[in-house]
Amino acid sequence: MAVDDAAQHRPTCGTSALSDTLLTIHDLRVEAGGRAILDGINLSVPKGHFLGIVGPNGAGKSTLINALVGLQRPDHGHIDLFGQCLKPFNRRQLLRHVGFLHQLHEQQPRLPVRVCDVVMMGLGAHLNPLVPMRRYRQRIIEALRLTDMEHAYAHDYRTLSGGQRQRVRLARALVRRPKLLLLDEPSAALDSKRQEKLYLLLRRLCDEQGMGVIMVDHDIAAISSHVDSVACLNRRIHFHASRGEPIPDHVWQRMYGEHIQLMAHDAACIGCTPAEHS
Amino acid sequence: MMLALVSDFLASPVMMHSLPYALVIAVVTSSVSIMVLAHRLSFLTVGVSHASLAGLGIAALLGLPLLPGATVIATLIAMLLALMPHKQGISEDAGTGILFAGSMALGITLLSTAPASAVSLFGLLFGNILTISATESIWLWFLALLILLATFAASRAWWSIAFDPVTAAAGGLPVDGLRLLLYAVIALTAMLCVKLSGIVLTAGLMILPASCAWLWGRSLIHLWLLSLIFAVVGVLSGLLASYALDWPAGPTIVLALCTLFLASAGAAWTRKRWPSQPHP
Repeated sequence: MAVDDAAQHRPTCGTSALSDTLLTIHDLRVEAGGRAILDGINLSVPKGHFLGIVGPNGAGKSTLINALVGLQRPDHGHIDLFGQCLKPFNRRQLLRHVGFLHQLHEQQPRLPVRVCDVVMMGLGAHLNPLVPMRRYRQRIIEALRLTDMEHAYAHDYRTLSGGQRQRVRLARALVRRPKLLLLDEPSAALDSKRQEKLYLLLRRLCDEQGMGVIMVDHDIAAISSHVDSVACLNRRIHFHASRGEPIPDHVWQRMYGEHIQLMAHDAACIGCTPAEHS
Repeated sequence: MMLALVSDFLASPVMMHSLPYALVIAVVTSSVSIMVLAHRLSFLTVGVSHASLAGLGIAALLGLPLLPGATVIATLIAMLLALMPHKQGISEDAGTGILFAGSMALGITLLSTAPASAVSLFGLLFGNILTISATESIWLWFLALLILLATFAASRAWWSIAFDPVTAAAGGLPVDGLRLLLYAVIALTAMLCVKLSGIVLTAGLMILPASCAWLWGRSLIHLWLLSLIFAVVGVLSGLLASYALDWPAGPTIVLALCTLFLASAGAAWTRKRWPSQPHP
């Protein structure tokens, strides 16, 4: 299970490697313009763990995901990936085993690329101009199959809908068979049926392949029945709930403000799928 | 009649001398222009071609060999521009505009003080593909080889960055370093074109081949092949027309490429409006 008490032990960089721990964050602080975006973040994610991160806009969710792949340098603390401290010199080697799907993307892609080209970009071998795509054809099809997009292998990426593009981008993150998958609002462009399929796929990857997943999402109700734990983030981690453990009202109010109203989530909810009530 | 024109063209020693250079331009610009379009750097090609004027001015002032000296200086200016937006918070188009104006002014000022025989301003502005010396020839072949090698090695990485820079950086790709290399390659290509077709026409050569192909291409390799075909056809037909009509070579080549672009855009528009019916 993911834990947030790693700071109590304060291990030095890279020494926290339990064999089944994929990621450990120690006392992470990230600042922008002299203001802390993230502060005192401690987390660890073992193999096969599905961690959801929720929080209001501007809570630092995307900053946290970006820091984990080295796009944002910590001002304090450190990040261990697969037992090694993430540093500029080993970043590329460690990130080979990390799949990443960020939130920002072009609304109207301009580049003429086929779906298979996009997925191929997820492989490190893609950068070698001598490596032909046909060598990885099967692997690309496998990744597309996971997101139900194998029929679009040779389609022009620009002609796809927003949801289909999102599924192709997810296939690009999966094609490298990552040990750890980082997803920033992956369900944003998907309808409720596709969202549910996505969560089920992620759950299956965690259970069957031991992949660790960290997913930022705004809809805790939708993810709560799939994840192993949920971290409530607003600059700090205010609460870390295991599956089935309720998040106290005061945590919600601390994150979203006093005006928030909490409603029971049951079978009568409009727009929810049956799995969300299990 | 056409056949007679072609055989006259092939018999002309001046044209046969310029033909290999024209084909080199076609191969190099067709490859680099794809990245110019992918990274939205069309304005940079204009800026860098004008920076060559400052490069030539400085090289003339310091008594350096003109073409190598100017190439190194223009490349350094372009790389400075690649670093500038990050460090100073200046947008890329404003930075290019500053480079464009400043280097043009510096170049003209410096060249006005250089001996009249050192640099021909008309040759610089419109190129002189028909009069390339043996020393310049070696330098141009070296430059072309360097550009093609760098483009071959980095093309897929540049393509990934153009498609999604955040994911490319998150995958551990040295995005800033690769962007710096791209700017340097664009500057080197601009210098190659400046010598052969002049400052005014360089941007045309570095933008048009890929623009023609962009309307039809479906992948990087597909785009490159189409861009190469458009560039070779444009350059050869331009050179032939310049011979037949006694027009200056550089501008005629660019006009031929413009015509190809209009034809390509027209055909793409027609295809979109009246798509062909699938066979039963």
